[in-house]
Amino acid sequence: MKLKVWGARGSVPAPGPETMHYGGNTSCIEVTLSDGSTLILDAGTGIRGLGVALPRSDRPIHILLTHLHLDHIQGLMFFAPLFNNQCEVTIWGPASPEASLCDRIARYISAPLAPVEIRELPSLVSFREAEPLEWQLGAAQVRAQAVNHRGPTLGYRIEDGDQVLCYIPDHEPGLGVPLSQLDDDWISGFDLARGASMLIHDCQYTDKEYSRHLGWGHSPLSDALAFGHRVGAQRLLLFHHDPLHSDDFLDSFAGDVCARWEGLGGTPAQVELAAERRELVIEAQALTPPVG
Amino acid sequence: MSAQKPLELILARNLLASISTPAFLVGEQGTLLFYNEAAAVLVGRRFEETGTMEMEAWTSEFGPFDDRDRPIPYDQIPLTVAVRDGRPAHGTFRIAAHGEHRDVAASAIPIVGPGGATGAIVVFWPMSEEDQATPMTKARARVGEGLARVEDGIARVKEGHARGKRPASVSPGNDPGGEQ
Repeated sequence: MKLKVWGARGSVPAPGPETMHYGGNTSCIEVTLSDGSTLILDAGTGIRGLGVALPRSDRPIHILLTHLHLDHIQGLMFFAPLFNNQCEVTIWGPASPEASLCDRIARYISAPLAPVEIRELPSLVSFREAEPLEWQLGAAQVRAQAVNHRGPTLGYRIEDGDQVLCYIPDHEPGLGVPLSQLDDDWISGFDLARGASMLIHDCQYTDKEYSRHLGWGHSPLSDALAFGHRVGAQRLLLFHHDPLHSDDFLDSFAGDVCARWEGLGGTPAQVELAAERRELVIEAQALTPPVG
Repeated sequence: MSAQKPLELILARNLLASISTPAFLVGEQGTLLFYNEAAAVLVGRRFEETGTMEMEAWTSEFGPFDDRDRPIPYDQIPLTVAVRDGRPAHGTFRIAAHGEHRDVAASAIPIVGPGGATGAIVVFWPMSEEDQATPMTKARARVGEGLARVEDGIARVKEGHARGKRPASVSPGNDPGGEQ
């Protein structure tokens, strides 16, 4: 399994010279499975570049949305395959008692926010509510589970052979109770992330910032590291960077991340901050950058 | 290792851990999944001591009990019946607290997630002395008040006989020949 980060920013795009390295595009990850098929995790503004770069293929495209906050769907309107009548796109996302997935996404892809309606998209697009399904996509077994964020929100576990990728980009597992006081089965997302070869997890705030953002649905560094440690993740990719965090800030933050991860018994090579266009190969026991 | 709890139960537990009102979190099968520090003060034992308790264990230890201090079977607790029907409910009963039985009021709210009912939150409310009187004790009190009035009337009659006339306050309506 391989992955490429097309957007790692949280909340709102943050383009500019001060965010050139980690990137300003919002959440989007391209996952290439062992059989060559592609899954796309979230459709933030990063999916625009991915849509341009995707090679032509007869395979259906699967987009797995964790939730429908704008920073996770904003790029959908600009995803080129949706405007290609040869493409088949399935969009997976959380169910809600309030309205269907299609109707909720249509609030964005419709007037006055968009110049087209979903029914006008040339591609063959369909919507599937993921919860509480476990299903096969290409070579992967995919599982969705509700996690603690604001509004209906899913995390995904993608198993391809003995490689496990877990994606929980928006998550506040320590809300109300410190993780250290909870047994494993009482921690949101624990089963989903247990023993993952690679865990991509929310780390929007420093511990100091978190006190002003309690209940906003995101993790401070200490909870992100504690969660990764508790679930036994082999690698941890910290994600959903706050739009106020510049490259300089995140470079400095990365040093703190490594030191504290080592304090939990890990090695610095196991943890990093997600950066746009970063490509990684997921292996069962270790994850290494691609050769070349 | 037990299975991951549904998110709605995790959030319910986090909520209870953050409030100062005594409250239990009960699972679908009647398992006591969690109770908060305020409830620990009420029942006299910390959750860290007891951990998760099966239905038989916690009902025999904490109650509820009826007016004669007999345990009420879990399936017959009115709140249980209501919650299993998907309705909220409020009631009063006796629980064991610090080695003695006391009356409490409780409100139960079903928790229904995407997959159906997963449990209930039971919140306990402080009761005034008047509230704390059970129907039996209230009845006993009323009998006691009636007896006191009867005894008072007998005393007045005796006093009237001793003075050679009947007291004015005794059953005037039944005594048309009285001296009113």
